[in-house]
Amino acid sequence: MISTKKPKVAFFDFAGCEGCQLTVIDTLQSHPELLEAVEIVQFREAMSERDEDFEIAFVEGSYSRPSDKQRLNQIREQAKFVIALGACAHIGGVNALRNAKPMQEVRRTVYDHRADHYEAGKALPIAAAIPVDAFIPGCPIDRHEFIRAVKTLLQGFLPEIPDYPLCVECKLRENDCLYNRNEPCLGPIIRAGCSALCTTFGVGCEGCRGLIPNPNIESLKEVMAEHGLSQSMIEAKLSLFMTNELKDFEVVYHGS
Amino acid sequence: MKRISIDPITRLEGHGKIDIFLDDHGEVANAYLQVPELRGFERFCVGRLAEDMPNITNRICGVCPEAHHMASTKALDALFHVDPPPTAKKLRELFYSIFYATDHTTHFYALGGPDFVMGPDAPVAERNILGIIKKVGMDIAGKVLKMRHDGHYLIKKIGGRPVHPNWGLPGGVSKGLSEELRVEVEARGREAIEFAKFSIQLFNDIVLGNTDYVNLITNDAYIHRTYNMGTVDQNNHVNFYDGMIRVVGPDGKEHAKYESKNYLDYVAEHVEPWSYLKFPYLKKIGWKGFVDGEDSGVYKATPLSRLNTADGMATPLAQEEYQRMYDTLGGKPVNHTLATHWARLIELLYATERWVQLATDPEITGETYRVLPKETPTEGVGSVEAPRGTLTHHYWSDERGVLTKVNLIVGTTNNNAAINMSVKKAAQGLIKKGVEIKEGLLNTIEMAYRAYDPCMACATHTLPGQMPLEVTIHDSEGTILERRTQNLD
Repeated sequence: MISTKKPKVAFFDFAGCEGCQLTVIDTLQSHPELLEAVEIVQFREAMSERDEDFEIAFVEGSYSRPSDKQRLNQIREQAKFVIALGACAHIGGVNALRNAKPMQEVRRTVYDHRADHYEAGKALPIAAAIPVDAFIPGCPIDRHEFIRAVKTLLQGFLPEIPDYPLCVECKLRENDCLYNRNEPCLGPIIRAGCSALCTTFGVGCEGCRGLIPNPNIESLKEVMAEHGLSQSMIEAKLSLFMTNELKDFEVVYHGS
Repeated sequence: MKRISIDPITRLEGHGKIDIFLDDHGEVANAYLQVPELRGFERFCVGRLAEDMPNITNRICGVCPEAHHMASTKALDALFHVDPPPTAKKLRELFYSIFYATDHTTHFYALGGPDFVMGPDAPVAERNILGIIKKVGMDIAGKVLKMRHDGHYLIKKIGGRPVHPNWGLPGGVSKGLSEELRVEVEARGREAIEFAKFSIQLFNDIVLGNTDYVNLITNDAYIHRTYNMGTVDQNNHVNFYDGMIRVVGPDGKEHAKYESKNYLDYVAEHVEPWSYLKFPYLKKIGWKGFVDGEDSGVYKATPLSRLNTADGMATPLAQEEYQRMYDTLGGKPVNHTLATHWARLIELLYATERWVQLATDPEITGETYRVLPKETPTEGVGSVEAPRGTLTHHYWSDERGVLTKVNLIVGTTNNNAAINMSVKKAAQGLIKKGVEIKEGLLNTIEMAYRAYDPCMACATHTLPGQMPLEVTIHDSEGTILERRTQNLD
C-alpha cells in the first residue's frame, strides 16, 4: 500500500488469556501486508519498543481492577478510535463468571486473610470504564473479521459487525439444527459473524460473541425447557459469556 | 536485610515476581518466586455444568488451551464413566501431537531459545527471534512461520476453533477426520518431521558446537538433583496424551508408577505464607524445604523430566536423539536445567513422528468417534502432559453433572519449588557484595526459570519481546536504594 503517513496503532491488554493478541500476531504473520499499511507503536506481547502517540487503540481483556480505569482513560484520551478486542473487552468474557459470586468470597477463596492486599473487582467490559467506538467480538476473535476491521478503520469508517443471529449463518452452512439432536445452543440470540464455527462442529453455540440487539431470550428459554433442560441448566448455558449482558449491564458506545 | 524484587508483568491479570533477600554481608539468603493471581476458575466453576469444562478451562490460557481442553475432556470421560472408542483416542492424540509440535516450536524459537542460542551476554536487541534469524539466515524465518502456521491451521481444522478448541466431549470428540483432511494432515506432518530434524541440527551446530555453551549447560549453577515426573506408555516410553504417571529419583530409580486418578496418594501440596501458588511435593518422601536430593519431595515435570522418567522414546528418530543426549551428558538422569531446551527439541521430533504415525493409522478416519455416556456422573480425574508439566483436572459433581468441587494442578505449578530453587541458586552464584546489579544479571536469573517455560512468562515474551522486569533493592528499613527496569509498562 502506498502511503506517506501510516496510521499509528497500539495494542493493550487487561485481564484475559491473551489468546486474541496471539490471534493478531498470527494474523500479522500470515498477512504481512497489514504491517505495510499501519505502524504498530505498542504491542507488549510482541515487541519492546513503545510510543504513546497512536490513533487506533485495540484493547484486549476485561476491566477488573479499579486501577485499570486510569490506564483506560489515558488510552481514550490519546486514541481517535478505541476498539474492544475479543469477548473479555467486549462483554467481560469468561472472567465475568466470578461476578455472580459475592466478590469478597471469591477473593478470600484465593487470598484468604490477605485478600485486602490484592486489588480485584468485578470483571467488566472496557465500555464500563470508557466510551468505546467499536468492538470485535468472539473468544477468540475471528482473524478475518479483524482484518476487515483494520481495513475499514484505515478508510476512516467504523467496522461493521453483524447484528443478526447465528442461526442465519448456520442455515447458510446447511447445518441440521442442533435442537433436533437435543443439543442446547444459544444461536437464536447470539451475534453471527463466526461462520457458525462451533455449531458446524456439532457443538452448541456458547455465546462468545454476545447478544444481538433485541434478543428474544424468554422464547429461547422456552425452547431449551422443551428440550429437557432444567431451569438451572438454562441459566448455566446462558451465563457462560453473558453474566454481564443478562444483568442489563449498560454499555455505552459513542461514535457512529 | 536487603530485598531485590524482579517483577515481571504477566498474563492472567495476576503477576509473578521474584524477591531476592540479601543478608548483612550482601550475600543471597533466600530467593522466592511469588505468584499472586486472581481469576478464580476453581471457585467459579462450582455450580456449573461439568460438560462445559473443556470450553471454560481452555480460556485459562491462550498459549496452551489445547492442554486444558484435553485434560478436561479426559476428566469428563472419567466423571461420566465412559471409555471413548479407539478412533476418538487416536484423534485426540493426533490433535495433541500437532499442538505439541507447534508449542515447542514457539518456545524454542521465540521464548526460551533466543537467549540460549544467542548466549546470555548477547545484546538485548539480539536476544530474540530476530536475532536467531540474523544468526542463522533468513530462510529459517519462513520455516518457523510455516511450522506455526500449519500447526494452528490443523488445530482449527480438527479442533473446531482456533486458540480455544471446542471439540472434546465426554466419550469422544464432536467430529471425525475425513480422508481428504487426513491426506493433508499426513503431508504437513511429514514436513514437520523435516522441520524438527532441522531444529535439532541447528541446536547441534550453534549450541553443542560451542564449548562456551556446553559449559553453560553443565555449569553447577544450573544443576538440580530432584525427582522427575512424566507420563509413560506401556513400554515406559514418553507419551503426552495418556498412560501411567511415573516418578524417578535423582539416582534414576523408579520411585512410583500410578494411574493419574490416584494422584492424591502420591502428590501433596505445601503452602508458604509468601505465595498463593502452592508447592506440590511427593507425599511419600515429604516436604523438606527447598532442597534437592533423594530425601526431599521436590520434583520437576518438564520436557527433561519426561525424558528422565522414561526408558526411551516411542519413535525411531526421537529415540536416536534421546540416546545421543544421554551419551553426551554422561548418562541418566540428566539434572542440568538448561538441558531442558535440548529435551524439548527431542520431544518436538517425537511429536512430529507421532503425528505422522497417527495420521497414517487405518483407524484414524473411523466413523465411531464418540460413545454416549450413560452412567450417573460422580467424580473424575483427567491428566495429560502439558508442555510445561503434568496437567491434572479433578472434578466432583452431583448426579445431574453439576460441579460440586474442582481441583486443577497446572503444569507450571509442579515446578514451583524447583523454579524457586533454580532462581535462588542462580542468584547466589551471581549476586555478591559489591557487585553491581546489571542487565546481564537479570537475564541470567531469568534463564534459570525460563528453561522451565513457566506459563506466566511465556505470554509476555512472544515475539522479539523481552520479559518486563523490575528489580528493586531495599535496605533493611524498606527504603528503595535502586530501581532498574526493562520493558516495563
